[in-house]
Amino acid sequence: MSHRTRPLEGIRIIDLSMGWAGPLATRNLADMGAQVIKVESCERFDWWRSWEATQAWIADNGAEKSPQYLYVNRNKQDITLDLENPRGRELLLQLVATADALVENYSGGVLPKLKLDYSYLIEANPDLVMVSMPAFGSTGPWSQFRAYGSTVEHSSGLPHLVGDPEQAPTMQHVAFGDAVGGLNGTAAILTALWHRQRTGEGQFVDLSQVECLFPLAAPGILHQSVHGQSPQRFGNAHPDHAPHGVYPCEGDDAWVVIQITDETQWHQLQDVVPSLTAFGDLNDRLAKREAIDACIGTWTQQRTATEVMQTLQAAGVTAAKLNNGQELLNEPHLHDRGYLQWLERDYVGVQPHPSAPFRTDAGPIPITSPAPTLGQHNHTILGELLGLSADELQKLEQQGIVGTKPRMPQREKSTQ
Amino acid sequence: MTDSANANAGVFQDLTVVDVSGSVATSYASKLFADYGALVINVEPRDGFDTRRLKPLLPSGDSAMHGYLHANKHSVLASCTQFHEEPLAHTADLVIFDPDRLPNADYLLNIDTNTCAVSWYGLTGRYSNYKGSDATVHALTGLMRGIGTVAGPPVIPPGYQAQMIGGISAFNGALGHLLAQRLGNLTAPFQLDASIMEANMCFTDLGPINAYNENPLPPRMGINRFPPTYPLGIWPCKDGWLGVTNLTPGQWQAFCQLLGMEHYADIELFQSSVSRLESSDILEPEILQALAQHSAEDLFYRGQAMRIPLARVPTMEELFRVDQYVTRNAFSQVHSGDDAFAAPSTPFRLFATPPHFGGSVAALGAHTTQWRSRL
Repeated sequence: MSHRTRPLEGIRIIDLSMGWAGPLATRNLADMGAQVIKVESCERFDWWRSWEATQAWIADNGAEKSPQYLYVNRNKQDITLDLENPRGRELLLQLVATADALVENYSGGVLPKLKLDYSYLIEANPDLVMVSMPAFGSTGPWSQFRAYGSTVEHSSGLPHLVGDPEQAPTMQHVAFGDAVGGLNGTAAILTALWHRQRTGEGQFVDLSQVECLFPLAAPGILHQSVHGQSPQRFGNAHPDHAPHGVYPCEGDDAWVVIQITDETQWHQLQDVVPSLTAFGDLNDRLAKREAIDACIGTWTQQRTATEVMQTLQAAGVTAAKLNNGQELLNEPHLHDRGYLQWLERDYVGVQPHPSAPFRTDAGPIPITSPAPTLGQHNHTILGELLGLSADELQKLEQQGIVGTKPRMPQREKSTQ
Repeated sequence: MTDSANANAGVFQDLTVVDVSGSVATSYASKLFADYGALVINVEPRDGFDTRRLKPLLPSGDSAMHGYLHANKHSVLASCTQFHEEPLAHTADLVIFDPDRLPNADYLLNIDTNTCAVSWYGLTGRYSNYKGSDATVHALTGLMRGIGTVAGPPVIPPGYQAQMIGGISAFNGALGHLLAQRLGNLTAPFQLDASIMEANMCFTDLGPINAYNENPLPPRMGINRFPPTYPLGIWPCKDGWLGVTNLTPGQWQAFCQLLGMEHYADIELFQSSVSRLESSDILEPEILQALAQHSAEDLFYRGQAMRIPLARVPTMEELFRVDQYVTRNAFSQVHSGDDAFAAPSTPFRLFATPPHFGGSVAALGAHTTQWRSRL
């Protein structure tokens, strides 16, 4: 395959982020061809490799086998630097001097303690774009508070809009805020890089992961603002449409979502499900939701979710099966699109990788390299880019400032 | 092309973006450009974009959702059967569209600028002609399968969340490729195919990977219960809801101390997140009992002081009073005619070149004459 210039080729990003949100933000840029240099240390390695590291885990090379780590760090390079050591810090600053942007999502207070906050970084590179991604933002009384993606969802108000009114405020995912924060992080970096490209000016960018969820809660937030009261939760029903819900299908835990939002679709559904002819216009349907849902449920339970989806879609009705992980692995539409790409990597063999969610060709943007191993690019980056000699690198390794094997942390790691 | 009233020396002051469809997804993608000063022009049909009819509605009958999505944009009525014939066509750096919402199948033929299609399932593949919705995307991507009671049915995520995710993902793809042109990495116009479904796979990409590695996620575990850890969830306190996440052994030990449950803190079994999850039936009654004796506010602040990632879970009403969000102007005023309302501000802030905070919404076709006379 001939070389083709990738969109962000020539952009260099230093990635101090860990976990899911920050690494996803930079992965999206790496997918478009940016050079992303991930900086870990042998003791303070990315906690997404494991939050319960043990000696046995290290001996088993567990740090190189974590699926969640591998898929958000592909297309990157990885170096180790002990940033608490003055020499490690100095090397990071040398690296920053060559970069376009730096991304971090440490808990508030960590970088100032290391003397690596924005004021120090721009001494090394006055044109640097620095993106900070703490859970609650870099300013305000909660700026130092700790959070995971779940905490971010909790704090957004979104759970009060989800599910049945008699249930507790309902979460949608184990770490919903992380993925949303990651997408917004990508947007933040690109926006600042656009400005830098046009003016030559870098700047500090502050991203609050909680605020990233507010657009997803916008209907509720706007309802509160306009009407002065919280919106009612409707579960799977819809206040203005019927039928509208999730219906059981043949098999264990098999479901299909069906939504009728206009009269045309209603008549199309009636053509497929004859028992619905007894029901009439929208007002009638809204008044008889339960009876209609029962009719549909009886019909769907006699068919597989795939069969229901295909039959209803062929009739022009909005419907979809509810996939799980196994079904996604074999999802024919994703297969048609080449969504999963397969890459071989040390320690784990061939693994599937999800593609970038946009493309300019028939196929997805190619993934060029799997996630790096810990410190895999120490010699490339510290040697070739920063000019350290082999002797210097060896000395750094002997001092434990760089390395390729994790060590047990001396104390518990930061969570974000 | 710039517009002084809109761009205000913003980051994207040299960009003109045209939205010819007005889905929530295309609107949110173009909103992010407008927030940072791009000239964004909505080319609307005679009855306006569908977003103009979304609830909630303001006293005037205008849509607050439309106002939120379209503040600081221009509105021009479509006048031609093909986009390239529109007077403003040659000004566009980027045309964003939803293929299901074009005036006709040939509308975008013969244009020589960058385009970004934002569709439910992408422009290719066997579902590309399927009817889509936010819920069908959540269903197909697997997000919905994990929400709700064990018995089911799984819960439909409300609102336009899938489209918001699709919108920001399309923004990222489009901006990345626009930047590529500025960098000289791309010389020809691009045609971007952004799939809302694939964008929403960001929540569930690990599912097929774990399945491939024969370590599939367990079936739905119940409301607010997810692998791989416990305690994790939203629980009632004396006066409100507390969001709890314990992942590391240190957090578990601190949480036990906070709730007066020290007898569990050092038990070896409970140092593992997965083991705690497997023991949740034992732990939960005692946790609930302890939480009920405290206010959520008190636990939140004391817990955070102990470095435990706890959260208040604010209602929509409480959200506007949270001091952190007030301090940061997380919500700003949008003006629509004589009405005004609070809406989320842009979540990422460039300090030197900040985004618009709120703004005004153009009436349908408000800029039609201006654009026709200008060109």
